[in-house]
Amino acid sequence: MSAQSLDQRDRPTGYLPEGADINRNIAVRRLRGAIWHAIFVSSLIIGLLALATLIYTIVNDTFGYIAVQTKVDPEELTGGRPLEELSKEELIEILRANVSAGLFRRFDRDEPFSERSRESVLQLVEERVVGREVVAVYKLTESLLERERIEATVRERFPRAKLEFHSWLNRDFLTRPMSSVPILAGVGNAILGSLWVIAITMLLAIPIGILGGVYLEEYASDTWYYRLIETNINNLAGVPSIIYGILGLAVFVRAFESFTSGAMFGVTDSNGRTILSAGLTMALLVLPLMIINAREAIRAVPQSIRQASYGLGATKWQTVWHHVLPNALPGILTGTILSVSRAMGETAPLIVIGASTFIVFFPDSVFDKFTVIPIQIYNWTSQPGAQFRSIAAAAIIVLLVTLLALNATAILLRNRLRRSY
Amino acid sequence: MATTEFSSINTLQSNGKYAVEVHNAYIYYGTFRAVNNVSLKIERQRITAFIGPSGCGKSTVLRAINRMNDLIPGSRFEGKILFHGKNIYDPDVDPVEVRRRIGMVFQKPNPFPKSIYENIMFGPRINGWRGTKQQADELVERALRGAAIWDEVKDKLHQPGTALSGGQQQRLCIARALAVQPEVILMDEPCSSLDPISTLKIEELMFELRQNYTIVIVTHNMQQAARVSDYTAFFLMNESRAGELIEYGPTTQIFQNPQDERTENYISGRFG
Repeated sequence: MSAQSLDQRDRPTGYLPEGADINRNIAVRRLRGAIWHAIFVSSLIIGLLALATLIYTIVNDTFGYIAVQTKVDPEELTGGRPLEELSKEELIEILRANVSAGLFRRFDRDEPFSERSRESVLQLVEERVVGREVVAVYKLTESLLERERIEATVRERFPRAKLEFHSWLNRDFLTRPMSSVPILAGVGNAILGSLWVIAITMLLAIPIGILGGVYLEEYASDTWYYRLIETNINNLAGVPSIIYGILGLAVFVRAFESFTSGAMFGVTDSNGRTILSAGLTMALLVLPLMIINAREAIRAVPQSIRQASYGLGATKWQTVWHHVLPNALPGILTGTILSVSRAMGETAPLIVIGASTFIVFFPDSVFDKFTVIPIQIYNWTSQPGAQFRSIAAAAIIVLLVTLLALNATAILLRNRLRRSY
Repeated sequence: MATTEFSSINTLQSNGKYAVEVHNAYIYYGTFRAVNNVSLKIERQRITAFIGPSGCGKSTVLRAINRMNDLIPGSRFEGKILFHGKNIYDPDVDPVEVRRRIGMVFQKPNPFPKSIYENIMFGPRINGWRGTKQQADELVERALRGAAIWDEVKDKLHQPGTALSGGQQQRLCIARALAVQPEVILMDEPCSSLDPISTLKIEELMFELRQNYTIVIVTHNMQQAARVSDYTAFFLMNESRAGELIEYGPTTQIFQNPQDERTENYISGRFG
């Protein structure tokens, strides 16, 4: 050790390890690397654990035993035949025989029985006569591991109830509208609402985003006002989404109410809290992302391609149209789909502009009230009771699968369209 | 007298012996003067080489000849470049027309990420070409033959141009430039990214092209300049780092009997 420090003092250029010192030095460097490696791996593991917990919680709530109890045994009503096999007329008769005359007339007034579908009548019978009622809900893990205990509890507490394994995520859940009875509720109209809102958002955001990106990247010169615009766009991308909701409320819901409610086009039964307002607000929200992303994609097109085009006597527009845009397209598409996923998952701005949390009809025009999947999830998670928790979990799966599908499409498209230079 | 319409560049008007004349060119990037008072005349159907150390402004002058510098924000040109007696920097001249008549081949081969066929046809199409499929095929074949690459690619015309080797890509780029029938072809270090065999092919090609085209080539490789060019221009930067033309004349004279001491030093490899 002293010999080494002596060396250091003696040599004007310092001391570089020699002999055995080389190996010692390398060992120290390797150890340092190994420590960092372990830190990287553990952060990845933490991430995976978080993801696994999320999936576990959701799946745990979505599937499991439920104890179902009916007011009347359906077989008593029909004399042994299952309800599903009855004709519409037979179902109407059962309904007439088992509900009060006033209620029956009200059903007829709401929608005449002659016009109702068989399914609609069947649903009424199930709701009003059979009165299927979920009296206990069990999670997936307990359902699998503690079956005997659950069976015993149910036998003891709900002697009339039947225990069945239920997937809260099923075809009915995907197609049915909202209902106050959890087991009859579905995300059908929320899915449709989401699709409507996304369609309007993209209709506006895609063209404006791409065209704005092309202008800023290819045409705008480097002057102070364009730099100001650029800075603003970059900052807008980071503005909390609820601010956009407030903007949408002030501008689209209130100021442009006659347009967004459709009053201008002769729609009378609506206010400004429509699909159109939501779509416009979401378009504003994703527009900065779209522009930034389009610019990135355009900037990634190599300068040499532009030069080759100009060198042959192409005009600026020809260069942009024939080379810049086609080569930027994969990137633009990827960003578009990522923007779609962002818009799909946004809740806050839609709450602010007044999305309905409870509507039972399916929207059929842009001037309708609406609900979207995240709003339904938000609504159900704030309701008391295990059943609402379960349908919220099922709705989360629907949303996650949709987003996953969108992102997978983005990756596939990018890989298909990517070119080599 | 028959009325004939001309574009702003009247191609019947000739500079005589010279294809391009550069008069007192000053080129600026922002406030930086990159080229200082360069004047030279480029002879028709000859190969003129620009040589000099890095940063001496030879590429800048080359790119000024077809107004490619216009694409660089902040660049400015002062002086005159006559082409068919017309100053291409006159306000009534569209740079697009200049570039269609004065083609360019770049340092790094830059075929479009499209098929070989589409690479060739892009230039004619954007310049308003009309014709049948057969005529297009003929045009593609001629351009590829002109660039001595036809035999290598005739069976894969519809495969991407980017799949070719570097040397083939560069000849494809030359063919692409030929397809719009320019009069002058500017080559900015066309062989600097190629291996010696590909370089040799490009040099042989330049000899062929010389019969119909005026060629200006920027090169770092002095042997190349000596081998292929008829005229050589030697550039050097002055004390304020602006490029200047030191000596210009027939290649044999520049290489064997330079008038300027700095040219001699550079040729003999004493600096640069």
